[in-house]
Amino acid sequence: MSGEEEENAAELKIGDEFLKAKCLMNCEVALILEHKYDQLQQMSDDPRNQVSQVFEKSLQYVKRFSRYKNPDAVKQVREILSRYQLTEFELCVLGNLCPETVEEAIAMVPSIKAKGRVHDDDAIDKMLNDLALIKKFE
Amino acid sequence: MFFHIVLERNMQLHPRHFGRNLRENLVAKLMKDVEGTCSGQHGFVVAITGIENIGKGLIRDGTGFVTFPVKYQCVVFRPFKGEILEAVVTMVNKMGFFAEAGPVQIFVSNHLIPDDMEFQSGDMPNYTTSDGSVKIQKDSEVRLKIIGTRVDATEIFCIGTIKDDFLGVINDPATA
Repeated sequence: MSGEEEENAAELKIGDEFLKAKCLMNCEVALILEHKYDQLQQMSDDPRNQVSQVFEKSLQYVKRFSRYKNPDAVKQVREILSRYQLTEFELCVLGNLCPETVEEAIAMVPSIKAKGRVHDDDAIDKMLNDLALIKKFE
Repeated sequence: MFFHIVLERNMQLHPRHFGRNLRENLVAKLMKDVEGTCSGQHGFVVAITGIENIGKGLIRDGTGFVTFPVKYQCVVFRPFKGEILEAVVTMVNKMGFFAEAGPVQIFVSNHLIPDDMEFQSGDMPNYTTSDGSVKIQKDSEVRLKIIGTRVDATEIFCIGTIKDDFLGVINDPATA
């Protein structure tokens, strides 16, 4: 990383390592952690003793803020968003916050309107509609 | 934001763990050592999801311990400056409020709460607009933007704002 000072998620300055890493939406994290929790439960009667506070808090958080509960819907969201030349980070912010208007989407992810990107308002609008449809038919 | 990344760690293993279950012992120790920790660079390690590779062990001089380089996949939570996320309010006072997003604590100062929201003390301290339509209290869900992070050896603290477009309360426990 090129220094703490320059970090800014709005301009996608999150360090090379994280930019290339796979981001996870809250709903995906919920699936992973719940799976792991179930596994622990099979091994011991009281999995609460086995997991760290960080795990516990994260699980509660992602359960509360998951937009999509159904595993198929979660898969679809990623599939649809990945058609729009987004970076992993942008994809997950949109998947987590589910903005309703183009204006809101740009406020949440300013980098999608940064220069050199292909997105015009119509493309963003279509993307948001696709997202809303998944939610509706989940 | 949560990430799925590959990290590496040198694990020291006592000779009593050698044998048929060496791998299981190594993985169990890795989980115990790493899960729940926090570093400034990678954030909070939430859960190990898989082992990529365990390298050749190296016997330490004098002790008999063996060091194995282990590459593992894990879910980490790393907050970034400029990131927008949702959080649950945990405490409200006249200085501002604290919110939690997973393992991380975020403080929003009253300077970074919209000017039309006033602090109300009482049993359930809160920030309320003058017309009473919007209220922030314990257990409210808010959408906020991280504007600063402070990293120390074992924890990350964030400063956030809700004084911007499309930020603020998303769900009020009193009306839900």
